[in-house]
Amino acid sequence: MLEFALKRAAWASFVMLAVITIVFMLVSQIGDPCAARLGANARPEQIAACHEQYGFDQPLTAQYGAYLGLSSCVRKSSPNYDGGEGHCGILQGDLGESMRMEQDVVEVILTRLPRSMLLGAMAMGFEVLLGVFIGIIAATRRNTWFDTGVMATAFVGISAPTFLSGLLFLYFFAFRLGWFPVGGYGNTPLEHIYSAILPAFTLAIIGAATYARIMRSEMVETLRADYVRTAKAKGLGPVAVIMKHGARNALLPIVTLMGLQLAILVSGAIITESIFAWPGVGRLAIESIHNLDAPIIMGVVIMVSFTVQFGNFLADVAVGALDPRVRVDQE
Amino acid sequence: MGSRIGAFFFSDPRALRRFRKNRGATAGLALVVLVTLTAVVGPLLAPHSPEEQNLEELLHDNGLPIAPGENPAHPLGADTLGRDELSRLLHGGAVSMQVALFATALAVFIGLSIGIISGYFGGAVDMFAMRGVDILLSLPFLLIVIAIQRVVDRPELWTLFLLLGLLSWTTLARVTRAKTMQVRELEYVQAARALGMSRRRILLRHVLPNVMGPAIVIGTTLVAQMIIVESAMSFLGFGVQPPNASWGSMLREGQQYLSHAPRLVLYPGLLIMATVFGFNLLGEGLRDALDPKD
Repeated sequence: MLEFALKRAAWASFVMLAVITIVFMLVSQIGDPCAARLGANARPEQIAACHEQYGFDQPLTAQYGAYLGLSSCVRKSSPNYDGGEGHCGILQGDLGESMRMEQDVVEVILTRLPRSMLLGAMAMGFEVLLGVFIGIIAATRRNTWFDTGVMATAFVGISAPTFLSGLLFLYFFAFRLGWFPVGGYGNTPLEHIYSAILPAFTLAIIGAATYARIMRSEMVETLRADYVRTAKAKGLGPVAVIMKHGARNALLPIVTLMGLQLAILVSGAIITESIFAWPGVGRLAIESIHNLDAPIIMGVVIMVSFTVQFGNFLADVAVGALDPRVRVDQE
Repeated sequence: MGSRIGAFFFSDPRALRRFRKNRGATAGLALVVLVTLTAVVGPLLAPHSPEEQNLEELLHDNGLPIAPGENPAHPLGADTLGRDELSRLLHGGAVSMQVALFATALAVFIGLSIGIISGYFGGAVDMFAMRGVDILLSLPFLLIVIAIQRVVDRPELWTLFLLLGLLSWTTLARVTRAKTMQVRELEYVQAARALGMSRRRILLRHVLPNVMGPAIVIGTTLVAQMIIVESAMSFLGFGVQPPNASWGSMLREGQQYLSHAPRLVLYPGLLIMATVFGFNLLGEGLRDALDPKD
């Protein structure tokens, strides 16, 4: 088991290295961040000074080594820069400094992360509550007009792009009815949660529709099982049968799916965050691509990929621990 | 649907019958044909140029565009720059569909090739390809596409579909690979190998027809995904660039006037949704028809 976990971890580290390399090469082609930051009227000396400060005057290999934290630091603004052996890279937990905000990248991301997580957590809550509830009711009323109608709606819901539902919610619930703020994040914790309702709901539609469809088909299967018939036969009420014996077992695939969705919690929802001016990680990423803020772009992509890798790693090891066949398969 | 076309997509006549009986699938097919047709002939049907601005006639004094029905020559009204909305929708649809269809075609071609080669030959080729898929899948797709599009000096339509196609073949390759590994062990394929049939012939005559089913299903849903990705990129300002306009970039423009003229968001948005819905419906119908076990 330990061997399996170690192999899996080695592979995850290799994928991370590949991701970092791809992103590094991509971002190094994206244009001159110094020119973007200083504007069209910048004098050549200013741009050269900026290049020197961030180490862009160094060869790409030196920049790459320094970014990984394997070779000496090239970024003069870093506290670890000493012109010689000091390191300031990923291995040291340093993702560099934002060109626009003149702030540590890790710090910037850590400020934005909790906001995206709040949005993601609320969205997941809506998804599961709505999806499971609708799925159970549809399954218990199978082949009635209610079932058909709700499942057709769910199928339409899966096709509704976030930008359409988001803009429509914004129009009706914020502009027309005035129940929610038009966008933004608010100032107090209560305002944060209140402002998150519309974007979280937008984010939840597709997920809720997916959950409802899965929950319904699982419930239909489960309700046919022998132990459900036994439970009915021993005189259990319909609600107890559905909740205790049916829903509990049908929930399993939902839990698996929720695990896979964890990445959304961290990566933020790019579209939803833009529509509702929600200052999370997704918006940070878009802003930084607009501004050619290279260190932030790299930081966000690396953080998101790392979370995905870490999540997959945990899932694989957990499944490997439970199911020996998986371990053999991998070898 | 002519039986010839049917026979091309369904090697099994029972699958064709199942597909025809499925009302949802037929509705999806109708929607898809309608949208594709609009994409092809739509620009010819457009009553005006999508770029021509007619500020005098099509904007009110307060700067707001005329609403549908106010001017019979412009049945859907105008957008905020005084351009005919109907013409823009017809042209925008053509752009959206072009990008989605070309990107999907490219992705299906790459995915099928890599999947078949990887699954049939196995070994180092397989390992290399599948590790590549793992790496691609661990990149945040939308962010990477947007970042690459930002790198491209002068983004044009073809760079967009090239980019989308080159990055979205992963799922298809995985599924094709798994299916190919099954087919490789079938008796008649082993017999073909034993009889000395060339690899090329085995791959094209025996393996390809067997993996086409799942590829068609995934390809169909991939079109829907490509439409959403293109719209999302254009909505964020990184996709289709002016003077070209897609439904996604129309949404972007409409968003700024959401409180005054929500229809500028509603029209392109509903068209995107209907298209995606059609392709999803068709994909689901094809899946049911080709794989009755589910």
